Amino acid sequence: MSPEPMPFDHRPDPALGAALRQALTADDDAGFVARMLVRAAQAPAAHWDILASWARTGIAAAALAALVAGFLVGRAVSPATSLDDVLVAAAGPSSQAFVTSLRPPDPSVVLSFAEER
Amino acid sequence: MASDPQPPGEAARIAAETDAELVARTLDGDRAAFGILAERYAASVRRVARAVLGDPDDADDAAQDALLGALIKLRQYDPRRPFGPWLMRIAANAATDRRRRRRVRRTEPLDGNVVARGMLPDADTQRRALGQRLRDALSQLPERRRVAVVLFDVEGYSHAEIGRVLGIPEGTVRSEVFHARRALRGLLADWREEGPE
Repeated sequence: MSPEPMPFDHRPDPALGAALRQALTADDDAGFVARMLVRAAQAPAAHWDILASWARTGIAAAALAALVAGFLVGRAVSPATSLDDVLVAAAGPSSQAFVTSLRPPDPSVVLSFAEER
Repeated sequence: MASDPQPPGEAARIAAETDAELVARTLDGDRAAFGILAERYAASVRRVARAVLGDPDDADDAAQDALLGALIKLRQYDPRRPFGPWLMRIAANAATDRRRRRRVRRTEPLDGNVVARGMLPDADTQRRALGQRLRDALSQLPERRRVAVVLFDVEGYSHAEIGRVLGIPEGTVRSEVFHARRALRGLLADWREEGPE
């Protein structure tokens, strides 16, 4: 056995360790593990089911994240709506008058156009 | 910590798998992988539980609780860190929880052959007697001190790892190990002086 330890001795004591190991070690580790695995399988909310449910949750979360990411990427790469697009979409006799006239439109005409739409 | 020699072939390949690989396989639903992990650490977990609880049956119950608890919490394990201290923390907590729940403290009966000195017929009986004295001496120590000395001198964990297991600073671990050793070494020294050999 090692001599009296220093307060900050960082080395394990082999003799004391061996004696403690002998005092605390139980036999039949394989049987112990087998009993533990049986208990895991027989648990009411089986632990393997818990793991499986966690896996399902993870897959669902990953799928949702992929959908969100795809939507965001799609928005980022599609061209922004231009003024021309708006004018073409709103094309009609009255809207053409707004665009081609050199004078500012009468507010009442603008309002009536908005009401038409 | 695993100390068994590696068997040949497929078993050797399995035995060479790292803890993190086995954890990953377990999380993929491989029950056998968790069995390997459990076998690898069963002895250590049982010893830590017995250091806390004393009674071997209680210790085994706590050790099973610990391994099942580890299985449930396995996704919380960080594979970049060593698996052993993570599991030992669960084991120490499981044993402590069981000790708190235990209403009546049971003690192991002393082996009738070793109660009285001079009645030690063989080396095996002497070993068992020494083991009993060590367990008795351990039971007199504060719980944290017991776990610290077992993790350090028996299981080979570092002070830093034990600090993470017990949730205490590394310097406190050193102090706990020091005081535990002083008590246990005194007992061992007495045993050698008084022993029949």
